[in-house]
Amino acid sequence: MGVLAIRTEGLSKRYGSVHAIEDLDLEVAEGEVVGYLGPNGAGKTTTIRLLLGLIRPSAGRAEIFGLDCQRQVVEAHRRLAYVAGEASLWPSLTGAETLHLLGRVQGRVDDTYRDELIGRFDLDPSKKVRACSKGNRQKLILIAALMTRPELLVLDEPTSGLDPLMEQAFRHCVHEARERGQTIFLSSHILSEVEVLCDRIGILREGLLVEMGTLAEMRHLSALTIEATFEGPVPDITGVPGVSSVEVVGHFVRCHVRGTIEPLLKVLAASGVQELLSREPSLEELFLAQYGASSESADTPAHAS
Amino acid sequence: MQAELAVGRPASEGRWPATVVARQTAHKAVRSGVLWGYVFGAYLATQALAYASSYKTVSQRAGMAKEFGTNAGISALVGPAHELQTVAGFTVWKCLAVLAVVGAVWGLLTGTRLLRGEEDAGRWELLLAGQTTRRAAAAQALAGLGCGVAALWVVTAVITVVVGRSSKVDFSVSGALFLAVAVVAAAAMFLAVGALTSQLAATRRQASAYAGAALGVSYALRMVADSGTGLDWLRWVSPLGWIEQLQPLTAPRPFALLPIAGLIGVLSLFTIRLAGERDLGGSTFPDRSGSVPHTRLCSGPARLNIRLMRSTLVGWGVGIAAYGLILGLVARSGGSALSSSASMTRALSRLGAIGAYAYLGVAFLMMAVILALVAAGQISAARSEEAGGRLDHFLVRPVSRSSWLAGRLLIATIVLVVGGLLAGVFTWLGAASQHTGVSFASVLDAGLNVVPPAVCILGIGTFVLGVWPRASTVATYCVVVWSFLVELMGGVVGLNHWVLDASLFHQMAAAPAVSPDWTTGGVLVAIGAVAAVLGGTAFAHRDLKGE
Repeated sequence: MGVLAIRTEGLSKRYGSVHAIEDLDLEVAEGEVVGYLGPNGAGKTTTIRLLLGLIRPSAGRAEIFGLDCQRQVVEAHRRLAYVAGEASLWPSLTGAETLHLLGRVQGRVDDTYRDELIGRFDLDPSKKVRACSKGNRQKLILIAALMTRPELLVLDEPTSGLDPLMEQAFRHCVHEARERGQTIFLSSHILSEVEVLCDRIGILREGLLVEMGTLAEMRHLSALTIEATFEGPVPDITGVPGVSSVEVVGHFVRCHVRGTIEPLLKVLAASGVQELLSREPSLEELFLAQYGASSESADTPAHAS
Repeated sequence: MQAELAVGRPASEGRWPATVVARQTAHKAVRSGVLWGYVFGAYLATQALAYASSYKTVSQRAGMAKEFGTNAGISALVGPAHELQTVAGFTVWKCLAVLAVVGAVWGLLTGTRLLRGEEDAGRWELLLAGQTTRRAAAAQALAGLGCGVAALWVVTAVITVVVGRSSKVDFSVSGALFLAVAVVAAAAMFLAVGALTSQLAATRRQASAYAGAALGVSYALRMVADSGTGLDWLRWVSPLGWIEQLQPLTAPRPFALLPIAGLIGVLSLFTIRLAGERDLGGSTFPDRSGSVPHTRLCSGPARLNIRLMRSTLVGWGVGIAAYGLILGLVARSGGSALSSSASMTRALSRLGAIGAYAYLGVAFLMMAVILALVAAGQISAARSEEAGGRLDHFLVRPVSRSSWLAGRLLIATIVLVVGGLLAGVFTWLGAASQHTGVSFASVLDAGLNVVPPAVCILGIGTFVLGVWPRASTVATYCVVVWSFLVELMGGVVGLNHWVLDASLFHQMAAAPAVSPDWTTGGVLVAIGAVAAVLGGTAFAHRDLKGE
């Protein structure tokens, strides 16, 4: 296995008694597109700021292409580009001046691609930043990152403020980047975006990485949704191994099954099932299941001390 | 339990939700007003006590009044003198014009900061989503600014009344209160000017520039009116002239408050009206929102810094040059006036200087303060890049923290040296035009002599930026204000030498009255450099901090 694009080892960040990130072990291979999910305050931006060397870890370490994120920060940054969710730029510069500045600072720009991106994102670069809407400022920092064709793109909610058409343009750019072999680390709240774009997904909860894998793996590990309609009364399935969240409405029942579904099938077959539907959970359901679990366990002290 | 609480006290509502803008603005304006109130009060007190202890006999006072009272150059600078043979006359003459200009600058910067600055930062958008309209919010903000002026007046007035009770000074209570009104009137008027330009301009910087231009015109008109050219009536068309017409303590004329109050009223009404007519974030004057790209200074952090700071730095440069020129112009008469004070002569003879050299030696303290403020401004600008998140754009690219900071400090140091040279050259030009006989080399040395304290301030500011970023701006300005006040009062009230030594300006030789002490200057620069290195190291190893 070659050098990893991103590698963290026991990475932790504490603010006083608050654990923003705890003991994070993360590996992203070159050319991978990884989604990074979590509710507000879960520690997504903290992870990214640690990777970028903007804040110091309380423990552990992080590497970008084998370069230490704290000690070899300049070398690491030569190989990446970052897009923040909130674009605070210099209000008195025009879009063109901003792109020129950020391109010169990065040290390399694909001019043709930059012009293509300006057209694709429908940006007027002659406007001053202070006259730009939030969405247009976001386009500006997206173009500034993409135009350098970096080996690694670190994106922190990059489409916030973009309209659906521009979101589409963004997805197109990510596809292109992936085809060229660029690595992408995408933190997002837009689950459909992550579902479509990412090879692997990590879910963060209260500073802990609770899930990491491909969507298929996560689905396999997660509960299957089963919906069944009966001719007669619905049998009692609450005691069947692996079954949970049973909802009964008349002759209809919906439940979740974890692990093998054989015991449930036996009960259903013996009770005259008329229709049977099974569905894998969507990313949204997986995410909400994690969310729900976090609310349920909110009363129990997790790792915070 | 939570449910019970929710039923018992529905929604945690503020007591007066419709006055939130006024309270927010007042909170910030009052804090600043109180701080400057202390500075104003200390300055007034120092001047009154210094006069009383320096000119003890009637003949000394008469000689001093004769020399200064008829000097057109000095009148143009600080206004005409009335009853200079009294503590009251001298205090008004020495303080009113100076504090009016300082107050006006405070007013316009505070006005634009709390109106246009808050709007630029997007905070007004949040407030306007509440129970208020754009007009009502502007009216509330003006009320908040009014609280700031009131705080400035109260602190100034209390100090003036207390000092006025001293038997050596002896101001009546009503006289002292009216003096405080006169001193803060310019601040009040230019707060209103700043509030109005905040409606006219598209950015805070632009709004401050318009208000600054208004102050410049006002000052120039008053200067012409007081220069003895027979254009005395011009005093009535300049807001700074109206303040002179108040003649506090010597011959109080309360009716001169009418144009002042009228101007504040009219400007406030226009502010409220324009706030209602324009879009939030928009301007009354058309904004040049697009333009041809100028990329020459957009190729790196240091060059961008020059581009962003250039208008401010040109403003400071013009100010330093103008102040130097005026000092040079009045150096000869100022010097002979100083010589008429027996205690001054004794003090200056210890310095080994007389005449224009002595005058410039004393007056260059102000030049050192101006340059120190430029240094503090550089720290404030660096912090604002970090707090606003704009620094992130460089640091996520191949730019190290130390190179970013070193670039800024290098530019700042060059700016300070150029400022010192400008001070020297223009003072010499002014002095030479009056055949004062001051040598170019000595005045140029005096200009460079004010650089080390400013470099030291820059270093101290960098240190605080490294270890306690959120306090860096306030702490750096506090060092400047502290050093200035201690140096100002030190000679009058006989401060402990430990306190005096804690003033950076006290370490500076009074050049050109005496030769600059380059060794001490070198020590100040070295302290600044060490502080900057420590601060830079801390900055390179800490988390970036937002607002």
